[in-house]
Amino acid sequence: MISSSIFRIILFAWQSFWRNIWLSIVTITIIVLTFISINFLITVNVVSDAAINIVKDKVDISVYFRPDITEPQVDEVQTYLSSLTQIKEINYISQQEALEKFRQAHREDQVIIESLEELETNPIGATLQIRAKNIDDYPEIISILDNSKYNDLILDKNFDDNQAYIGKIKEFSDNIRKVGLFSLGVFAIIALLIVFNTIRVAIYTHREEIGVMKLVGATNWFIRSPFLVEAVFYGVVSCVIAIIIIYPLLNFIQPHINSFFLTEEFNVINYFNQNFWKIFGLEILVIIFLNIITSVVAIRRYLKV
Amino acid sequence: MIIFKNISKIYPPNVVALKNINLHIKPKEFVSIVGRSGTGKTTLVKILTAEESSTKGRIIVGGWDITYIKPREIPVLRRQIGVVFQDFKLLAKKTVFENIAFALQACGTDQQKIKEIIPQVLKIVSLTGKENRYPIQLSGGEQQRVAIARALVHRPKILVADEPTGNLDSINTQEIMDLLLKINEFGTTVVLVSHNKEVINSINKRVITIDNGEIISDQKIGKYLL
Ligand SMILES: Nc1ncnc2c1ncn2[C@@H]1O[C@H](COP(=O)(O)OP(=O)(O)O)[C@@H](O)[C@H]1O
Ligand SMILES: [Mg+2]
Repeated sequence: MISSSIFRIILFAWQSFWRNIWLSIVTITIIVLTFISINFLITVNVVSDAAINIVKDKVDISVYFRPDITEPQVDEVQTYLSSLTQIKEINYISQQEALEKFRQAHREDQVIIESLEELETNPIGATLQIRAKNIDDYPEIISILDNSKYNDLILDKNFDDNQAYIGKIKEFSDNIRKVGLFSLGVFAIIALLIVFNTIRVAIYTHREEIGVMKLVGATNWFIRSPFLVEAVFYGVVSCVIAIIIIYPLLNFIQPHINSFFLTEEFNVINYFNQNFWKIFGLEILVIIFLNIITSVVAIRRYLKV
Repeated sequence: MIIFKNISKIYPPNVVALKNINLHIKPKEFVSIVGRSGTGKTTLVKILTAEESSTKGRIIVGGWDITYIKPREIPVLRRQIGVVFQDFKLLAKKTVFENIAFALQACGTDQQKIKEIIPQVLKIVSLTGKENRYPIQLSGGEQQRVAIARALVHRPKILVADEPTGNLDSINTQEIMDLLLKINEFGTTVVLVSHNKEVINSINKRVITIDNGEIISDQKIGKYLL
């Protein structure tokens, strides 16, 4: 008896869905837009976090030694630096490697290549690439080096201040996030209003049936539940449609992300795949919850039983 | 079977629909309630089916005091009282079978049981063979018989008919009256609300006359007074 009732309630909801198909389409569209804006926000978050990490990872100090400094001397500096707590890793580039790199970097420039050929000794000193544990430690490391006895051996220190760059990414993503949050808010409010109205219309459309049901002694839950089921149904269908739309969108933006950051390290689709249930499961639960609340209000208001 | 004790009904703000109604309807009785339009007959029916609550007084149906009935108990009451109206209240998009089935489905009856019950009630109202017709393909009398069949699916002890023949010509009216009498003979208490003089005068049953919300006469074998 219960199972046949449940079946009938679902059938009733399904018929109601088709009976006002245009309204159903509008309702679903707006919920889909809400879903997409939530996931847009998630994407912005994930991509900007990843971007900041990638940039942070690229920050280092290059310490260029004078060409006449020998390997043991560089070793000594490296040992000294290794003892500093702020430092995460030091990469030693020998004179030979440095020269090779320099050649590579200037292989287009005939003049430089030719003048290098003419020199008998290697004009390029060794390099130490220093990576700090924390991005904020770089200025300190530089000042330690400046004040150390090794400063004489050093020709130049180069620190790309990517802080500004990171700040820009943060600012940019914060702005997108604001726009995203705003549109999410707008969509969510419109979605709830539309769900409310759709349920109201569904009740209105079924007023005769509802009247008969009351007349013959249908229980309140039997009269009310189709409308709740319908609201849940909107949530589920919208989520499925949103997923179907979101993945090609991600596919579309993925290469742009890759080329923008010049790295394959980060894959936003993988992120969504790995967190599929966490993301969409939570979203659908929230949407269903909100739809139910909205319909309960609509039913209370328009369905006197 | 039905007891009204000092029932008064005032619709807000101050429409007095019923004044101090005292009424006792016995099981298996056939009672006609007559009176001019707007005298409170439908209000009496609505109080009986808990669609409206009384402003004063008590109402007891089959030994059950429903004066302060809880909302979730109302369906239980309504399954014990079949109701039909002047406008039939059939669903135009459903066939005869579906209309009756709908009433059972709405109460959670399983399909097997529905298939058993419907032929039985269709037989009572003599509509066997017309189960696949839509209301529009039936005469007014036949439509009212479908409504009566629907009212009977829960085997109610009471059948209330509020002006069931109001929309029908005399032949169809007679048909419905015969059916109501037949149902009464089977043992169902029938409460008929009507202002059809000939009908009331022809059946020789108890007649209660209401005027301005008050019972002005209650006759064992009554005639239409007004
Ligand atoms: N829901 C309502 N609200 C206010 N007044 C009502 C309502 N229903 C009926 N009435 C009034 O109560 C009186 C009795 O109505 P009703 O019981 O329908 O009479 P009848 O069925 O005898 O024609 C009428 O004056 C009518 O206008
Ligand atoms: Mg009336």
